[in-house]
Amino acid sequence: MIQGLRARDRQVQEYLYEKYSRALFGVISRIIYDPDLAEEVFHDAFVKINQKIDRYDASKGRLYTWMANICRNAAIDKTRSKEFSKSSKTNTIDDYVYGMESESGTAAAVDGIGVRELMAELNEEQRFVMECIYFKGYTHTEVAENYDIPLGTVKSRVRSAINVLKKKADII
Amino acid sequence: MDIQNYISSGKLELFVLGDLNETEQQEVLSMARKYPEIQQEIDAIEAAMFAFDKASGKNPSPAVKDKIFASLEAAGPVMEQEDSPAQAEPVEKEVNLYPGINPWKPFAVAASLTALLAIGAAAYFAYSYFDAEERYAIALQQNAILADDIQSNQVKLNELDQSMERLLSGNFERVPMKGEGLPMQEDALVDVFWDRESREVLLSVNQLADLDENSDYQLWAIGADGPVGIGLVNAAEKLNLQAMQEAVEAQAFAITIEPKGGSESPTLEKLVVLGEIS
Repeated sequence: MIQGLRARDRQVQEYLYEKYSRALFGVISRIIYDPDLAEEVFHDAFVKINQKIDRYDASKGRLYTWMANICRNAAIDKTRSKEFSKSSKTNTIDDYVYGMESESGTAAAVDGIGVRELMAELNEEQRFVMECIYFKGYTHTEVAENYDIPLGTVKSRVRSAINVLKKKADII
Repeated sequence: MDIQNYISSGKLELFVLGDLNETEQQEVLSMARKYPEIQQEIDAIEAAMFAFDKASGKNPSPAVKDKIFASLEAAGPVMEQEDSPAQAEPVEKEVNLYPGINPWKPFAVAASLTALLAIGAAAYFAYSYFDAEERYAIALQQNAILADDIQSNQVKLNELDQSMERLLSGNFERVPMKGEGLPMQEDALVDVFWDRESREVLLSVNQLADLDENSDYQLWAIGADGPVGIGLVNAAEKLNLQAMQEAVEAQAFAITIEPKGGSESPTLEKLVVLGEIS
């Protein structure tokens, strides 16, 4: 598939889109709540993924992880750009979850298994750390510094949170 | 290396989240190559994240897909857009994820501080330079004044030397002239030194009142043929030998006040001092 992408094969690109667009758009929408803005960022990020595919190094991880990081960083860049109002950053998972649930006009049907259900499995501390790192785009060191939590604690909370999600994902 | 400890450190999760710096990433990658358990754990985390993203994500609107593929078509087959590489690569992005800690900031701060210090130093040295310059100029000026003083002192010394030599080498007799008993200046005192052989006359003013601009003191040698004017006396030059004209013969010397420039014959009413040769 990577070769197809490198050759700019339209069919492979379509396949990539079908397989990953939902998850990647999810990564962006978690950080950017405005649907139009999120789609704009997604457009740019997906085009970029196809253009920079030569830089993808399979030995460093899965294609999806690479793409998700590009999307995540693009979204974070957007939230840190001037055009993005600061107030949006104060949103929480709940805002996102409710925002998603209340959204019905988009063509995409929202599955029953949502972030809310997954997040409900986490305890308060795990939720907070995940919210900062995965949803708001803080680095773990920033979380440690800003909220005065030891770095090791942040790391172990991230791990336990992802462990919970892992188990949950298995069920899915 | 305790593999389980490494796995449970939380590092692998951060690795998948793109939240490690380059060095840490390399470390995780080499650990993964060495220990299959670690690679398995990474795979599991990646799979979990994908599953989670997919489950929690949503499909973008079809319009976006059309737009994306239109952009890809337009971009052409091979295109390496070098916009901001920091946006494309998670590794480099990592650095930018710290909004408060721009990597250039310490350098900028250091550079600013250095610049400030340099400005301060420059100002200090400029001040020192101009200060030194000024003092140097003053010193030069004082030096010139001192040189002038020395010069004039040298001249005076030479004059004194000559006078002294003259006085010592000749056969001068001292003729004190006094104002005592005369109506003009009771306290006037002037000495005349006369060498009969060489006829030289020297004069030293001890006490003489200053005159107005239109008058001069004139020295007279009074001999058998009457008084002969032998020069004007500088009253201001006190206790210094003034060379006068020659006196051929004299029984007495006298000074009178005459109109500016002196007279042919003395104005006797204005006789100031008189000294007879003993």
